[in-house]
Amino acid sequence: MTRYIIRRGIQSLLLMWVATIIGFTVYQLAPGGPLQFLDDDPKKSQEDVNRLERLYGIDRTLPAQYIAWAFGEDWLPATPYWRSGRCLADPTTCVRGIVRLDFGRSFHYQGQSVIGLIMERIPATFLLAFSSLLLSVVIGVPLGIISALYRGRWPDNVVRVTTVLLNTVPEWWIGLLLLIILGGYFGLVPLGGMQTIGDGSLLDRLHHLILPATVSAIGGWIGFSRILRFEMLDVLSQDYVRTAQAKGLSRKAVILRHVLRNALMPFVTGLSGIFLLVLSGSVLFEIVFSWPGMGRLTIDAINSRDYPLMMALFVISSFLGILGVLLVDILYSVVDPRVRYDGHMGS
Amino acid sequence: MAEQSLTLAPQKAEADEKVIRPVQSYWGVVWQRLRSDWITMAALALLLFMVTISLGAPWIGEHVLGFSPTATNLRQRNDPPTWAAAAWPQFQAFTLSCQTSAHCDWSQWGSITSAAVEGLGTCLTAELGGCHWMGTDDAGRDVLTRGVYGGRISLRIGLWVAGVSMTLGVLMGLISGYYATTFIDDIVNAIIMTLGSIPLLFLLIILSRIFQPGPEGLAILIGLFGWMGLSRLIRGQIFSVRERDYVIASRAIGTPAWGIMFKHILPNVSSIIIVSAVFNIAGAIIAEAGLSYLGVGIGPPLPSWGNMMQGSLGNFTDAPWLVITPGIFIFLTTLSIYLLGDGLRDALDPTLQRTS
Repeated sequence: MTRYIIRRGIQSLLLMWVATIIGFTVYQLAPGGPLQFLDDDPKKSQEDVNRLERLYGIDRTLPAQYIAWAFGEDWLPATPYWRSGRCLADPTTCVRGIVRLDFGRSFHYQGQSVIGLIMERIPATFLLAFSSLLLSVVIGVPLGIISALYRGRWPDNVVRVTTVLLNTVPEWWIGLLLLIILGGYFGLVPLGGMQTIGDGSLLDRLHHLILPATVSAIGGWIGFSRILRFEMLDVLSQDYVRTAQAKGLSRKAVILRHVLRNALMPFVTGLSGIFLLVLSGSVLFEIVFSWPGMGRLTIDAINSRDYPLMMALFVISSFLGILGVLLVDILYSVVDPRVRYDGHMGS
Repeated sequence: MAEQSLTLAPQKAEADEKVIRPVQSYWGVVWQRLRSDWITMAALALLLFMVTISLGAPWIGEHVLGFSPTATNLRQRNDPPTWAAAAWPQFQAFTLSCQTSAHCDWSQWGSITSAAVEGLGTCLTAELGGCHWMGTDDAGRDVLTRGVYGGRISLRIGLWVAGVSMTLGVLMGLISGYYATTFIDDIVNAIIMTLGSIPLLFLLIILSRIFQPGPEGLAILIGLFGWMGLSRLIRGQIFSVRERDYVIASRAIGTPAWGIMFKHILPNVSSIIIVSAVFNIAGAIIAEAGLSYLGVGIGPPLPSWGNMMQGSLGNFTDAPWLVITPGIFIFLTTLSIYLLGDGLRDALDPTLQRTS
């Protein structure tokens, strides 16, 4: 158990490292850069260019730039601090950069630290993500159970037709449509935002949350109901279920004690995939519902070509994704003892 | 003797012919199954219709609708559909009544419907280019014409994405399945794991902002992140195929690794590839719509179903046709693709018993 968690932890750290490399590479691919404004300047001198390159640290080689960006300037062997030997004696004084979540300053929101901007937005994204995860479990699990128990009959058909129909249009489009009808025409829900300005009551917040959470849960409950239907049907055909029935147990007891317990196990693995889906989808839903979270900040960063912010958002959202998946895997290994021994997560 | 054998031979062939049943090829059986499934055939017809109107968009724009997808008319910005010109203000008054008073004024619906029906009559008899069936957008362009043209982009992207991700998925799946438990398999698994644990939409948005690709470039970007599912499926299938006797025999007579992969293993997984290609097209259409809606996909002069909705960001309640029209196009296309994929999955499975 502990070994499994340690191994998954190391794996996740490696993944986070890979995510920073992807982020850095993409950052390098981006056209322009801090000195692009000098391109058309007739008065620029080579000295100025050199000085500015040194200032921004782009006179270094790419690996050196990566180290400075990810771990802090002082880890570069050429700097005086490194030569003094203090970094090896006490690494905590030297560690900066991404390890300490220091992503530098934003281009667009002048002077503000990137991580501060993101930290401001994370609670909103989490509120939306977790409430839609909750809703997808609350809606998806019963639907999956119903459609497995009534396989081939009308409740199953209704659930399946609904899921196919919901799958054929983008979920954010459903959100937009509901927003127009319920919000724009009938005035039942607010047209966007997290709360009415000057009114921070719980009821007002819930009123703003209800439509975004329901719509961004669509993908989740479709996923959960599918997983659960499949697993239930699988478990229902097992020998031990037939034995339980033959033994004379009531249908209710068989389903609750034998079928549901076993079918719910793989459901936990589905959780990590759906967590990622919700996190990814936050960009679209936050735009549709004017939700002040990370997704909206990403679009703002992109429209203003704020590369440090963009990269930080990518790296942070990847960290969140990786940590979320790790958490679910640990949870799964606690619930299902088989995982600890062979170490494979199934699909 | 010679004469006898000459006369005998055709007789014998004739006799054999009576016994031999017509040869049923795999694809023949698949087609037979598809034909007897009316939902799949209806889906196929709908898909063919969508493809036809997309391919024939220039002709339809000119001779049926009478508009060009890029002709702007600044006097008709965000105009409601021509047939609803009279009904739309009444509908707005109705929605106002919902928001200002406690109860909606449902009595207005009589005049709203009659105005709309009357408008439909005049629109049907209007001359070419006299009726905006789905209204106009923020530059006064005809929304329906743009929607018809949008299919060209969306379907093109769908096909490209399917091509890219199928190729990648098949290659990676074959390689990792064939070299399972070696370091090659580990590398492929590591790539899949990395891509599976980062929120790809963030990366996709940033990459498409940086490269600002055209339709094909965007499709390649989407395709690069859409092959993992197929690769896993194929890897799993190979595990069940690679220890079969004919594969071992082929290896024993010295067929090289790639020969075994393409000759013996690939045909066994062809049905999986076809079905996931079909679903991939639908997924790509939805992904493109999302990216273009966010403003990082297909750029504005080209109409795509996603970027048509982008113009609606500020005024979606005043001009809902900007949201509804592209959505209907997406819905019809992906619905037909999903149903076709479902039908194909059943038809391509040789082990499936026709019980229903």
